[in-house]
Amino acid sequence: MADETVFDFLHSELVNYVIEQSELKNKDAKDEDLSNLEYLGFSTGYRMIERLTKEMPRFKDELDTMKFICTDFWTAIYRKQIDNLRTNHQGVYVLQDNGFRFLNNISNGKQYLELAPRYVTFTCGVVRGGLANLGINSLVTAEVQSMPSCKFHIQVQRS
Amino acid sequence: MRSSVSYILSSSTTEPNMSHPDYEQYSHDHAALLILIRHIGSQLKPKTYNKFYDRISKLSTVKITDSSGQVRNIYVRYVKEYPVENNDWGDFQTHRRLLGLISIGKYDSQLELNEICRVHESLKVKYTSTLYDSRCILLKPNEVQSPGETSADESNKSSPDSDVIKDDDSSPYDSSSGDNLKSSSSTDDRSSVEKSAEDARKEKVEKLLEKLREEKTPDSKFTTPSNFKSRALFYAETEACDDLEQQLTEYVNSLFWVLESKRLEKSREKLERVSLLLAPFEKKDFVGLDMESRNNKKRCTGRVTKHLGDLCLQAGLLPESLTYYSNAAEILKSVNDWLWLGAAYEGLCAASALILYPNIQRTLPLHRNASLQEGSPKRTSISTTTNPDLTNPKKDVLNILTPEDIPKRYREAIIHYSKYQNAGIIETEASFKAARISVDQNYSLQAASFLQNVVFINITLSEQEKTQRFEMLSDLYTQIGFARKAAFCHRLAASRYVSAQNPTPNWSQCYNLMLQSFPGHKLSLDPTEMCTSPHQMGWPSLQIHLLTELVVAAKRMGHSALATRHQTFMLQTMWDHLTPTDQKELAIQLQSLSAQCEGAPVPLVLDNGVVIPPANLSNIPVCSGFTLKNLQPHLQPRKIQMAKQDIGPFLFTPINFGSLERKSNKPQSKMDFLWVENDLCEVTLKLVNPLPFELKVSNMRLLTAGVVFESIPETVILPSETPTSLTLNGTPKESGELELLGYSTHTLGVKSNCRLRFMKNFLPHYSIEVIPSLPVMEVKTSLPQSATFSTFQNFENVVTSASISLYNGESTECIITLTNTSQVAIEMLEVSIQSILEPNLQEQIFSWDAEEIQKQLPIVPNSSATINVRLYSAANFLASGFSGPELSSGVFGSSHAGSISLSMSAGPSSLPSRLNSPISHQSTMGGSFHSRRNDLNSSFRSSNSGQSSMTTQGCRSPGVLALPQHAASSVVEGQLQFRYSGGTGLLAGYCRSCSVFITLEMMPSLQVTNWDVLPAETSSQFYLVLDIANLTSQEMELHYTSSKHMLIEGHESCRIPVPVDRCPLSKLTKLYMENGIDERLDLDKICSDHIANLVDLRWQLSAIDTNGKATLKGITLTPNMLDIVRMSPLNWDVSINGDAVKPQEALSCEAGDCLEVSVKIGNSLEKALRHLSMSVQFYQDHQNGVCNYRLENRLATTGLSRVLVPTLEPQTSAEHNCNVLFFTPGQYKMDIQVAAPECVSATASISGHVWRFIPPVEINVSL
Amino acid sequence: MAICVAIIGKDNSPKYFACSNPDDEINLQYKVLSSLDVIEEKLNTANKVTDFRELFLGTLYSLESHKIYGYVTNTKIKFIIVVDSTNTALRDNEIRSMFRKIHSIYADNICNPFHIPGEPITSKSFHDKATSIMFGTV
Repeated sequence: MADETVFDFLHSELVNYVIEQSELKNKDAKDEDLSNLEYLGFSTGYRMIERLTKEMPRFKDELDTMKFICTDFWTAIYRKQIDNLRTNHQGVYVLQDNGFRFLNNISNGKQYLELAPRYVTFTCGVVRGGLANLGINSLVTAEVQSMPSCKFHIQVQRS
Repeated sequence: MRSSVSYILSSSTTEPNMSHPDYEQYSHDHAALLILIRHIGSQLKPKTYNKFYDRISKLSTVKITDSSGQVRNIYVRYVKEYPVENNDWGDFQTHRRLLGLISIGKYDSQLELNEICRVHESLKVKYTSTLYDSRCILLKPNEVQSPGETSADESNKSSPDSDVIKDDDSSPYDSSSGDNLKSSSSTDDRSSVEKSAEDARKEKVEKLLEKLREEKTPDSKFTTPSNFKSRALFYAETEACDDLEQQLTEYVNSLFWVLESKRLEKSREKLERVSLLLAPFEKKDFVGLDMESRNNKKRCTGRVTKHLGDLCLQAGLLPESLTYYSNAAEILKSVNDWLWLGAAYEGLCAASALILYPNIQRTLPLHRNASLQEGSPKRTSISTTTNPDLTNPKKDVLNILTPEDIPKRYREAIIHYSKYQNAGIIETEASFKAARISVDQNYSLQAASFLQNVVFINITLSEQEKTQRFEMLSDLYTQIGFARKAAFCHRLAASRYVSAQNPTPNWSQCYNLMLQSFPGHKLSLDPTEMCTSPHQMGWPSLQIHLLTELVVAAKRMGHSALATRHQTFMLQTMWDHLTPTDQKELAIQLQSLSAQCEGAPVPLVLDNGVVIPPANLSNIPVCSGFTLKNLQPHLQPRKIQMAKQDIGPFLFTPINFGSLERKSNKPQSKMDFLWVENDLCEVTLKLVNPLPFELKVSNMRLLTAGVVFESIPETVILPSETPTSLTLNGTPKESGELELLGYSTHTLGVKSNCRLRFMKNFLPHYSIEVIPSLPVMEVKTSLPQSATFSTFQNFENVVTSASISLYNGESTECIITLTNTSQVAIEMLEVSIQSILEPNLQEQIFSWDAEEIQKQLPIVPNSSATINVRLYSAANFLASGFSGPELSSGVFGSSHAGSISLSMSAGPSSLPSRLNSPISHQSTMGGSFHSRRNDLNSSFRSSNSGQSSMTTQGCRSPGVLALPQHAASSVVEGQLQFRYSGGTGLLAGYCRSCSVFITLEMMPSLQVTNWDVLPAETSSQFYLVLDIANLTSQEMELHYTSSKHMLIEGHESCRIPVPVDRCPLSKLTKLYMENGIDERLDLDKICSDHIANLVDLRWQLSAIDTNGKATLKGITLTPNMLDIVRMSPLNWDVSINGDAVKPQEALSCEAGDCLEVSVKIGNSLEKALRHLSMSVQFYQDHQNGVCNYRLENRLATTGLSRVLVPTLEPQTSAEHNCNVLFFTPGQYKMDIQVAAPECVSATASISGHVWRFIPPVEINVSL
Repeated sequence: MAICVAIIGKDNSPKYFACSNPDDEINLQYKVLSSLDVIEEKLNTANKVTDFRELFLGTLYSLESHKIYGYVTNTKIKFIIVVDSTNTALRDNEIRSMFRKIHSIYADNICNPFHIPGEPITSKSFHDKATSIMFGTV
């Protein structure tokens, strides 16, 4: 499907662009600065969620919201659902995607593992943004052990 | 929830219907006995009355044990007035009947007493239809003291103030209420022990009351009139009235028993034949209706049953009432008697509520200002507070409603009521009751819907009642936390108070209600809160509207101060949300408002205790910069300790500029410079007037904390939208830490304190150290100010300048006057000069008498001291080697290093004459001789040059002399630095430093272009030959010795010989003693100093009569010159044919004569000279620079022409003799020299040195 | 047609306000503001009661003159429509669909890159759409 590939290309260009910018800004920084990328994701998610939840009934609770993220939200972006959702019911949720779209096209194996963060940051932002607009302030991190599967840790900030 | 079928059954005719809604009602009031407490007579102070009322109303329930020994819980409700019409509804709902009357009155005379009694009786008549019993509390004159009132006395003593009840409501009441409980329980006991019929009980009560009355009345000298049938309770106003509660309990008892009896007889009636109970407006509906019809019979029974329910409820028989009500409901529903069905439902609800939530309390009348805080938080629902084990048993009560059902039933009841136009009041009240229940159940939405319903019920109400309704609504909304809704209602109520229909508009009420609506609109009265809150969630447009209304209200209220305050507040807080035009208009309005009452930054307190915090206009004008200024550099205090650095040019920069820079990038509240007590200090503000018209800001001062600071008010007129900077001045009156908090303004007629703390992008405050006061000194000079300032380092503390131009060598005096312009004596004064000159030259040019200065201290205020500074134009009068190198370079380029160094050092003495000589021997002789030749010709140079130059003197053109770089005058700049201090400042270790900038133009006077030395006639002297150029345009008279002087035309030059004593050996000996590293230079120096000291050239320009002296300081000498200048260490003794040779004299002989030359040299040094080689040589000088040494065929010498002297001990002499024989006539010269060998000698000073007998001996040989 | 459409942000500050009769705006604003209490209360209860999960909250309250309807998005953005009580043509369903339309144009506007979430809505095209919805012309 063309539109999807387009999205993939856009994303990878986005990543490259941000990396470039950050390198231009501070060369001496050893680990690349992905915060901009994360922010792009955030505002994307923040705006997008408005659309996605339009037809949704009001969410019962946090878990309900998370389910929505795993299913409709994920499908809307990645054409697939989260494969596994786990929670400790204390505001920590682990979303596991066994074939994360942005990692699918990277050869699995250890070769590019250290580059993985670039390709999950945007998504972290998107999730965080979506949740934020739904009134859940959270901290989203991703963990890639073996391509192309990826774990997103959502830590809800209880204020 | 309004019924769709409205107003069926209800007749449109205006029946006497209950026109006075009672919004205060609780559902519990259904069970209460209604007692009116009336204030009678003018004597009684309202306050006392209220005290009594409050105290009485504390007794809201009384436990009474009935005949069956069952304890009844009787509720009592007290009202202050009760419209008699409402009594008419007593049949409909018995709790609307007024059962009791307590009137309170005070009398001082029998007359008044009678009056009170009369009124009381009339009241009884008024309510006679329902009244059971009454009491009259009579406050008798204070002075009357009765034995029965000792307690009162004590309480009197205990509290000096006359009225106990007034003062301490807490303590006596608690105790008394305690009594009350006891008393009531005691009555219980009493009643419980003797189980008699109720009438017996009644008597009992009667008796008791009698007794009480007995002990009350007798002491009073006044007596109630005979027609006074009621029970009177006599108290002194000052009395604690301990038994009041007891009395009340008794009273309630009596009421209860009457009620109970009524209930019993009603219940005994045969339900079949009871008459139809009617609501007031129903009267004519049933006229002519067949009462016997089955339907109506049921109606009657239904209504009666309901009525009984009411009575039971009041009599404290809840279960019974419930059964009655539910039965009634059944019956009434069947006959579609909606109104009464509603009543039955309401009864059900009331009873159930009473069981479920027995402890719902009427919220004490809340004070207006109290409701100003954020809407009171939701009540914790009663249902939760009543713990289950209490509620569960109640569940099994027959046909009790569940908490959920209560609102439902109420809803139905209301719907039924709504079918009757005339039942509007009932409906309204029902809605309120229902709402209150839901509030307690914490069903906010339900409560809201009930309250919402109230708005719809349209009943003809007085404005007063309408407003009351809204106030009540808002109170309830507040209770369920609907702050905004409450605010909404408050606003409606407010507008009601001043609505057009309202005959008596009450602006202050309106105003108060407006204020109460603020929290709902997220408005705080404190501007700082509004500004500081990160994102205020209120609706600006509404807030602005509200504020505008508030201002109007305040204005109409006649409280213009408030109006101004609120207008200011609006401008301050809502500025960003206002359109420019609004901003302009509001500002203008403010101006006109403040014209009536000027706004001041003080909190306003309203009558009801509300405090309106000050509103400051900190954004008109906008302040974009607040900078503390350092003092003028010459006034800045400096630490005395750091004196050394103080005069160092680079120290100030970090302080002065550094501080500013630091503020720009990293703001810091503590200034790193100092202010001085009693000195004018400055703060500059950047102000922008955001308004489209010119703004006058007057009385701007600095707001400070810490040390006393006297701020000088400023007035500024700000054009629109253009940044203006303003300087605020002030003087600290003490030393210590000063804090600047902001500034005050007075604009648009509003005084404001603009504190940085509350303003954006400012530090909360700036603090600065103020040091004790220091003197201030004014400096004047006798010389004219210099036109220009050079960019000399740290010239910022220069206070004045002096400039003068002097010819080199000239000197003058500059008188500097120091005046103490402060009130502090100057006790310490240091003077120092700083310039870029090297120190010794500096002190040549500038000099003063330090002691003289110190003598003049201290300089008391307004007196002055003077300092004489001597300025001397010290210049180098010697033309430095300008021509030497370039002239001779061409020559020496090809020759040897040694000679170069030589001629270089001899640079100055470059006379054209000697040019050819080296060339000549370059050409004539071979390198082998070189060293010697070199010495030779150099040796000649000294002498030759002398003569030859002499000859060439005349033909020297001034043009050659005009030396551009020397002709140009040079400028010397110096700063005379004064560091002074005194008074407390000095003790604190501070001083001030200012400086005078002195520009000294040094004009060339004369210059020594060349110099050379010639041996004088006497060996003790030599001639210093100077080429003097007069660089001035005037004729110069030059005195070069005591006796000799000459005139030099402007820009002319001439050569003068100055006889100088030779440099005595004594000055030199040490040279020869130990060998310094560069004794050559030492030698130079010693000699040149020697010369400089001896030669003094005084010049005089008679035309502009100035005079000065030139010095030869730093004159450089070539070795050969040195030989001449200094005494030779060898003294020569040359004799020919026995007679000694005198210098400068030629001796003559004939060819063939044999001359005997004997040379004796003596060592006049203190040490031995070794390995001297003495030689005698003859030559012919052709006077053209060419010397001929090849004289083999012209003369012959016998004896050695060269001998070696191994050692020459001090003060000894060596002699050498030889003979010479001339063959041909001619002019000959004999050159005698003694050479010390190279580096053989211990002392380098004389190694390789050659001494000559000068001048060479001339011998004219004739035939 | 409705006489007023309002959009209120998470923090209950007004984001957009349009009404058919500008002179009436202030009063309507007061009404709308006071209706927020009901919305919040409903939302609170909504969490407890599960059947309350529709975004459309129905009538918040009705005054003699106006009926006020509420609708709250999942992102706690509140839409409010005020209609004239005499206007019986508008039943809940019509109102509901109006809200839907508003929601969708709002979502579009949020995705407009020039709109900063949380700021008041100033977009002209949004205003046009909103008013046409209000007047029931779409």
